[in-house]
Amino acid sequence: MCKTTLLFVVCAAVVLSAGFAADNDLGRLIFQKDSLYHRIFVSRRGPVVSLQFGRRSPVAIQSQVNLDDLRRHMLEYTELTFCGLLYQPQPKRMLVLGLGGGVIPRDMRHYLPQLDIDVAEIDPEIQTIARQFFSFREDNKLKVHIDDGRMFVKKQLRLDPVPKYDLIILDAFNSDYIPFHLMTKEFLEELKGVLAEDGAVVANVFYTNRLYDAEVKTFLAVFERCQAFYGAYSDNAILVAPGPAGRMLTTREAVEEAKMLQSKYDFAFNMQTIAKRLRPNPRPDRRARVLTDDRAPVNWLRKQQRKASPKSTH
Amino acid sequence: MMQSKKAEPANRSVLRTLTIVFIVCCCGWFTMELEILGVRVLSPYFGSAVYVVMGSVIGVFLLSLSAGYMFGGWLSRKANSKLLLAFNLIAAGAWLCAMPFFTGSVCDGIFNIGLDEKWGSLIAAIILFGIPTMLIGTVSPTAVRWLTKQASDSGFNTGMVLAFSTAASFAGCIVTAFYLVILSVQRTICASGIALVALGGAILLQAAIQGRKGTSNDVQGK
Repeated sequence: MCKTTLLFVVCAAVVLSAGFAADNDLGRLIFQKDSLYHRIFVSRRGPVVSLQFGRRSPVAIQSQVNLDDLRRHMLEYTELTFCGLLYQPQPKRMLVLGLGGGVIPRDMRHYLPQLDIDVAEIDPEIQTIARQFFSFREDNKLKVHIDDGRMFVKKQLRLDPVPKYDLIILDAFNSDYIPFHLMTKEFLEELKGVLAEDGAVVANVFYTNRLYDAEVKTFLAVFERCQAFYGAYSDNAILVAPGPAGRMLTTREAVEEAKMLQSKYDFAFNMQTIAKRLRPNPRPDRRARVLTDDRAPVNWLRKQQRKASPKSTH
Repeated sequence: MMQSKKAEPANRSVLRTLTIVFIVCCCGWFTMELEILGVRVLSPYFGSAVYVVMGSVIGVFLLSLSAGYMFGGWLSRKANSKLLLAFNLIAAGAWLCAMPFFTGSVCDGIFNIGLDEKWGSLIAAIILFGIPTMLIGTVSPTAVRWLTKQASDSGFNTGMVLAFSTAASFAGCIVTAFYLVILSVQRTICASGIALVALGGAILLQAAIQGRKGTSNDVQGK
């Protein structure tokens, strides 16, 4: 009895201290606003500013920057999205869906000054917040369009000639996950229409649940080829689908390419470490089904854990 | 003898009331099921600016129901209101079954005209869901007419029809939003269409049998 009580007290203490530590991790809440789409939280701890949607859970961070060191990637996935350059080392035009704190477009703009970047962000509040708290700046080569990602792509398809992007980064998330209409076969087919022949689509996803299998399956159904980079410290995976004239990489080729890119662009992070995260041939679970506009049970799949970790089964 | 003769019509009238309530419930269910699925159908074409698509769909459903109530009220005065109602349900069901074949071209067409998300989704919702929702809306007033034998019952019957229809709408709304969205949207809409056609067919069949017997006890007299 005494032991049980003691155990309980210890457990409670651990839980409580973990709770406090977690709350302190992101620091003080400096801004909160309900936009049309999310409850937005901005927290700051020293120079580190974090963006969150919906709830202030220490694990669900949309964006994070260190204002004293803007080149430092605070979240693993933003760094990992640079793997797109392994497939298309000299992009001229890039499209990013989802702005958040603007980390990816800002860093791409920094390393590739010739690159024209379009960002589609649905929530005008996010644009204001990125400028105000995350030191995000737009200019004539980096433009933010306030529009639903899918609508933006559809509008590009309506132009004559259709503008093509060399790199397309999918990073549109709400407080739960990616909105379903930005995961389906029909959407990826529209995306294919604005992708250059030798370009690449780079998507930030999570690999721990069954939705991941469906996403890989959908990528394979549309682009026929797909590779993945798994996070070492996070549950993020980056799916890459090269255009019809693009190439697939072996881990060795990726590391070679990374070496060249590293010397060319002098990244503040290590491109070779990213290249080593490559799993050249991700295979979806046999039961997985392609996501379509008609059938996309995203919430249901996301609640089910994957049986095998893709890291061990490549 | 006397007693059993009296009991029979009473039983039949209970059965009749239950049948009418059942029809009303089906229509209540399908209205909200379609409304939820309508949002799901339109968002790939008009985006997840949620409030825009949601607002359009809800608005169009209300407008269509309002037209349906008016139209249904007018139909309920006709002598052959049963046949008309059955045809309405069959037409609504057939529309839903056919919907998968024209949803894409309608939505893409509207988008390609260059309409924005607001007007685009509103017009698409009118074209896709306006007619079937209006036809389903004709059921409630007709049901009230069928149930009402004397003027003093009209309030009670109206209340009952509204209550059952709305409770069924609640169920349709929740079950669709929580569970049916996991399935194929177009197939769910098709299946609902088939159910409506079957319901209309059953009403026609009943009317035919009754007509042959020559004992039309469908809202006798005035």
